[in-house]
Amino acid sequence: MRREGRFDAWRLPGGVTCPAGVSVDGHGGAEVVRVRATAAWVETVCEALMGAGEALADIPAREIARALGRVGERFLDEDDPLRRRALEILPGTSGLSPEMCRVVLDGMARDWTEERLNVLLARELGAAEALDDFLEGAADTRARAVGPALCAQVVSGSVPGVSATALARSLLVKGPTLVKPGLGDVALPVLFAEGLAEMDPRLGDAVAVVYWPGGSRELETVALEAADVVVAYGSDETVRSLRDLSPPTTRFVGYHHRVSVGAVGRETLSGEQTVRAATEVAEAIAVFDQRGCVSPQWVWVEEGGAVAPDAFAEMVAVALEAIEDRWPTGRLDMDEAAAVQQIRGSAELLRAAGRNVRLWQGATSPWTVVYEGGTAIEPGRMCVGRVVRMRRIETLEALPEAIAALRGHLQTVALAVRRDRFDRVAAAVASAGASRVAPFAEVAFPPAWWRQDGRGVLQELVTWVDA
Amino acid sequence: MRGPGSFEALAAELEQLFARGADGPIPEDAFEDLALRVFAHQVAACPVYAAFCAARGVAPEHVVSWRDVPAVPASGFKHVELLAGPEPEAVFATSGTTRGADRRGRHFVPRLALYRASLLPSFRRWVLPGGATMPLLSLIPSPTAAPESSLSYMIGAVSDELASRTLWLSDRDGLPDAEAFRDAANGAARGGDPVLVVGTAFGLVHLLERLLESGLQVRLPEGSRIMETGGFKGRSRELSRPALREAMTRLLGVPASQVVGEYGMTELLSQLYEPVLTEGVAAAGRYVPPPWLRVRALDPGTLAEVPAGREGLLCFHDLANVGSTSVVLTEDVGTVGPDGVHLRGRVAGAEPRGCSLAVDDLLSAREATL
Repeated sequence: MRREGRFDAWRLPGGVTCPAGVSVDGHGGAEVVRVRATAAWVETVCEALMGAGEALADIPAREIARALGRVGERFLDEDDPLRRRALEILPGTSGLSPEMCRVVLDGMARDWTEERLNVLLARELGAAEALDDFLEGAADTRARAVGPALCAQVVSGSVPGVSATALARSLLVKGPTLVKPGLGDVALPVLFAEGLAEMDPRLGDAVAVVYWPGGSRELETVALEAADVVVAYGSDETVRSLRDLSPPTTRFVGYHHRVSVGAVGRETLSGEQTVRAATEVAEAIAVFDQRGCVSPQWVWVEEGGAVAPDAFAEMVAVALEAIEDRWPTGRLDMDEAAAVQQIRGSAELLRAAGRNVRLWQGATSPWTVVYEGGTAIEPGRMCVGRVVRMRRIETLEALPEAIAALRGHLQTVALAVRRDRFDRVAAAVASAGASRVAPFAEVAFPPAWWRQDGRGVLQELVTWVDA
Repeated sequence: MRGPGSFEALAAELEQLFARGADGPIPEDAFEDLALRVFAHQVAACPVYAAFCAARGVAPEHVVSWRDVPAVPASGFKHVELLAGPEPEAVFATSGTTRGADRRGRHFVPRLALYRASLLPSFRRWVLPGGATMPLLSLIPSPTAAPESSLSYMIGAVSDELASRTLWLSDRDGLPDAEAFRDAANGAARGGDPVLVVGTAFGLVHLLERLLESGLQVRLPEGSRIMETGGFKGRSRELSRPALREAMTRLLGVPASQVVGEYGMTELLSQLYEPVLTEGVAAAGRYVPPPWLRVRALDPGTLAEVPAGREGLLCFHDLANVGSTSVVLTEDVGTVGPDGVHLRGRVAGAEPRGCSLAVDDLLSAREATL
């Protein structure tokens, strides 16, 4: 296989030595070198991190936010070597195209600024100082937020940037953290940790980023047993197994398999705004090549507009083809490409069997739009590689029923509706289990302070001490 | 141009062909001729397949190579009825996924005799070469226990035709009864005659775990062999193939040279085998089809055939499928060469991506036939 650069997928606290590396293929063809980790070595790393906790606790929270922000902002500065390295390494490790990597880095790093991290602290903890001292609260109570002694985080590799965000969240609450990113997301946490070590060794020593193949039970057990807070991102199966491996006294924060969907109101389906809506739908599908938990897998189109649902589906297809010039699809794994072929072939068969199914697909790229003239969906297999399934719906009032089958896994509902309808539809889908409702243009990059899967991301990490 | 033959005539002709055994090759022009007549029949007999081909602009009268016959995706068996023959004698169903959310694929089989005619010569050639017969210890549920399982039907046929007697040692979910297995194995050991154990990887792993947990001792007589068919699919703790084979040697006393891997799927009526018994243990990992089943590896993006030895999606052309559709595109990845098919295991370090992806879905290259 052609090598597209070589990347060492680890960053360790000062003083911890690194065992020999072994090479694996990154999703985009890069040579990713991973540590040949052993259980005993992971234990050493955990001990070093916990040892760094004391120095971390002494730094005021705002100062930590400032340091994190300074490093984060470097990823937004075109002239900064950290951003340049990130853009160089990301395509080969993530499998996203270089153009898409730029979009993803911009979207992710936007939230790594001091200003936005402070908003996050304020929104979740009332004030950043709650991490430094007991603060007066309501009704004569005083309370202080204490971060984890060690936060072990196992992150999926589907979307680059998630691991770095996870890293920042733990440090923000003064928790040393061991981050085990997925293979597709190794680059940014390592670079982020490098930047931190340069900025302030006290922070650098409180972070370890180590990639190993997910499901390496022996290694994960050591990390999960050393930690007092465990954060796991991944499929239901991954989250279940990590939860089972965690001691009962450990706080477990699981971000399991999630599905997002979208809906387009009839008032959007006339005139020029239709084209804009189709482009926004297509962009939401294109970002992350449909691998994000925020990527809409199904989109319902309301009947009764000037443009019929199937005609709108065709417009989305046209937009997806056009987007290939701006943001080309990255490299699909063989398994992902195989899944796309099954979806396309099955759509052809359904049409052949007389079902009201239409199919549009890229001639040379994997984007695929399957329109089916019904409302119901069959959960099961998810789409990858910019594959979207579109349905018609008589009225958006029926949306909760249409998405009911996704309950437990539903996350974001993207909406293209008139302003005065937004809240009504949002309330309806909330009752069906959605934890976020947003316009299509905003679904890909929720703000730093979003309540991921309906919960405060820092609140999940801290323990409140009342005094 | 070839007109469609009637199903009965084609099936009878194929049965005769299969009866000559899985050993000798079928010449290219003979395979071509049969494949194109089967294709014409399927277009004539199956309206869904006919419309599918027409939408792709493919008509039997213009197709001159078996390679140009349109493939249906394996997942299509979940969505539409692909029947190209009279009233089916059996409907085999694929297993659901572990999450149970997926629908099951259905393979309509109008003539079970043809399935038997295909499966028996292959089994004889690769699992019981030299006319061997031996008692069968099956960890695969019996056809009575699992009437919708094409694998159970297959083992039932083997039991009827090729085994001296059969013990069914698992429940309908494929969970083996370790004590019954121990008793059967030790009974056989006392007689000294070798036995044939058949099981899915899932069933075998469970058996070995039970044996380990309960400390039950089993030593199969010398010359005993094992046929193992795929299907871990997240139903069991992960265990690599070499690890499974090593454990079988250690716990059952059957060396790797006597373990034959089988590759089959509900959607196909012919199977591939590792020619370990005839060619030695170095053949492990290479699967050989009978001559009436041809395999190609296709580029996952363009679906063009890739050169020999290059990885692609496996596409099967099975003449025994005359009563449904013969060309099936799978999600299995492998390389195809003149000596057979190498299935790709998981690439070292590779892991499925997508926080919105069910791992099982991505990894389940094969629908377990249980």
